[in-house]
Amino acid sequence: MTTLNTPQSIINKQPRSFLAGVLLDMCGRWGARVGLAWIGLVAFFAVFGPLVASSHPILWKTEDGLSSPMLEHLMPADVILLAMTFVAAVLLVCKWIHFGKRVLWFFAIGIVVSILSLVFIKPPQAIVYSQYREALTTEKADWAVMTIVPYSPTDRFREMEETRFLSPTSKHWMGTTGDGEDLCSRMIHACRIALAVGFLSTGIAIFIGVFIGGLMGYFSGWVDLLGMRLVEVFSSIPTIFLLITFVAFYGRNLYLMMIILGLTGWVGYAVFTRAEFLKLREQDFVQAAIACGLPLRSVLFKHMLPNGVTPVLVSASFGVAGAILTESTLSFLGLGLVDEPSWGQMLNQARGQGGVFTWWMAIYPGMAIFLTVFAYNLVGEALRDAIDPQLKKAAQL
Amino acid sequence: MTQPPEFNSQPPEAKTQPLLRVENLAVSFDGPAGRVRAVNGVNLSIYPGQTLGVVGESGCGKSVSALSTLQLVPTPPGHFDSGSIWWNPGSEKTVSGTVSTGETPGETGSDPIDLLTLTEKQMQNIRGNDIAMIFQEPMTSLNPVYTVGEQILEAILLHQNVSRKQAVDIAIQALMDVGIADAASRLKVYPHQMSGGMRQRIMIAMALACQPKLLLADEPTTALDVTIQAQILELLRKLQAQRGMSIMLITHDLGVVAENADVVAVMYAGRVVEYGSVHDVFDNPLHPYTRGLFDSMPILGSSKHRLRTIEGNVPNPADLPTGCPFHPRCRSFEGDTHCTTNDPPLHEIAPGHWASCWHVDGHEQAKATRPDVTTVTQMHA
Repeated sequence: MTTLNTPQSIINKQPRSFLAGVLLDMCGRWGARVGLAWIGLVAFFAVFGPLVASSHPILWKTEDGLSSPMLEHLMPADVILLAMTFVAAVLLVCKWIHFGKRVLWFFAIGIVVSILSLVFIKPPQAIVYSQYREALTTEKADWAVMTIVPYSPTDRFREMEETRFLSPTSKHWMGTTGDGEDLCSRMIHACRIALAVGFLSTGIAIFIGVFIGGLMGYFSGWVDLLGMRLVEVFSSIPTIFLLITFVAFYGRNLYLMMIILGLTGWVGYAVFTRAEFLKLREQDFVQAAIACGLPLRSVLFKHMLPNGVTPVLVSASFGVAGAILTESTLSFLGLGLVDEPSWGQMLNQARGQGGVFTWWMAIYPGMAIFLTVFAYNLVGEALRDAIDPQLKKAAQL
Repeated sequence: MTQPPEFNSQPPEAKTQPLLRVENLAVSFDGPAGRVRAVNGVNLSIYPGQTLGVVGESGCGKSVSALSTLQLVPTPPGHFDSGSIWWNPGSEKTVSGTVSTGETPGETGSDPIDLLTLTEKQMQNIRGNDIAMIFQEPMTSLNPVYTVGEQILEAILLHQNVSRKQAVDIAIQALMDVGIADAASRLKVYPHQMSGGMRQRIMIAMALACQPKLLLADEPTTALDVTIQAQILELLRKLQAQRGMSIMLITHDLGVVAENADVVAVMYAGRVVEYGSVHDVFDNPLHPYTRGLFDSMPILGSSKHRLRTIEGNVPNPADLPTGCPFHPRCRSFEGDTHCTTNDPPLHEIAPGHWASCWHVDGHEQAKATRPDVTTVTQMHA
């Protein structure tokens, strides 16, 4: 019998999947590193915001003994985010468990944690920020350990004289807003909305777009015809106007905003996926998969999707940036959230209220929006280059 | 058109019924130039344990005939105009030890079933399980994002009622059967880490892991270099002998056919022009097209004169010549109106040797008495 022998070195080399190779290549590019570093910073603040900027002391000693007002005042959302970050970190370390199983575990734990924290975590409703400062000055409390930025985003310093529109000082690093809130704290707490809007709306859009685009590309024929008409209908909807209309009728709701952004933003992904699937359908390995008798579900989503999803990921990174911009635009127009800080809303306040232009209210949120969008674009570009090295060569010529 | 030629090179006791019988198959495709017939009345049959070699130029309908067998022809552009493909697996397989849900009537008995009438769901039970296929390009036939093991395991787990652990054992055995050393560790390797010959072996292992009765090999060695080609063909021969499966070997390499096939079907412009045992066809080619193919083959050591070519090009299937589609390129054509007006049927010139040409010796009788199915059956009974 003839046998083929491969050099031992090839066998011993740890095989690497296509996606892992692409991600490693991407992370080797400086653009992606800069972008990922910034996104990482934003993500860090999104998760650890309440631990970084809060008027509640981390730990203080009063007549009642030691206590941690900050932990007591954590919202269910804060707890879920913190817990899930911890779970994700632990699961990342558990390399010996199969990847799919770890993803499954992550979601299972996520659901349990969410339900538990929504049921059991009841932070005090009335929050009086001034109590801490009063207690410290009247020596009711012996000492207190504060967070790095010792102000909550909604702390308006009611007991103090005038804290509105203070330019940056050593006390308020980025100045204060028209309501007398600390801008730095608001910036940090706005990271969560910036990330959530980007990821959730793009996630919804990708899910719908890949599904419809995949069916269109695989079946072609009348499915394609119908799908393309649907794409045309949806791409003719003006997103901003739709959002404004919904805000007018249903009030300001972040989740509604994300869903609308997702429901109108899928057309690009659908067209991308369709083109990829049209190409992939003729590929030998897809024909081989069908000839093996694999069911359609497996052929479509197991064999074709991983090979066709990379260009979608590239455009998704640009889509996340676009969603952040849209949210900023809405907030700038005064149609965003009221009680929660967002970068666009701060930009809006920069030119209003006092009748004076407050530069710190424009520079810091403006830079944050710019840097975040820029970071996503850098990552997207690096991802594209990593997937298709020829494209990069062509771009350099 | 004509009768389905039935031919069997196996000893009579092995001959029962053909495993696969393609009857008057016609497939067309919608294109920019309108509907085009790619396959026009093809008749073939394959008996258990037999290798049928299908030869012809590119675009003559070889691959479409094979793909039709598994209903792999994409049906928005493609159309099955007529014909049927009878699959007669005998009494075993299909049902035994597989995922068959009993939805497929007629699968259990020995009644032949028409593969073209099966639903997609019923087809999935046939594909990979009863009829497997290997493709021309081993470099692109494996999914680049999964390891070799994951891909073989998926096929095995789909068709056989085994645990994952047993499936791994079956996969390792399948890799060892195709001559891959160190099979267990090779399961964890991605396709891009392997050479073309190795990948084709993997493809064969994957196709044969479920013990199919028929293997459709669509130019399995075209993309490989000559030494690997020889190894792969030897491997196929060996596996065929071990398992008694049938092979439909599609190729345009006459040398490959001569060495591997029992029966040869020469195709031209979507129809079978010559059909017979490999000895008959190679020793005594009847159709001018077949003779042209042999003339255009270089013979090692004889460089005395230029090779003879077949003049002209393959006709555009959208605009076939009237009458015999080969007549504009035919050396035997002498302005005969018969050739330009009537499409010659495939008729039996000598026992077990069919050709479709008006100029072949004995065509006069053939015109008068075209053998039908019964006469053929009597001949081989």
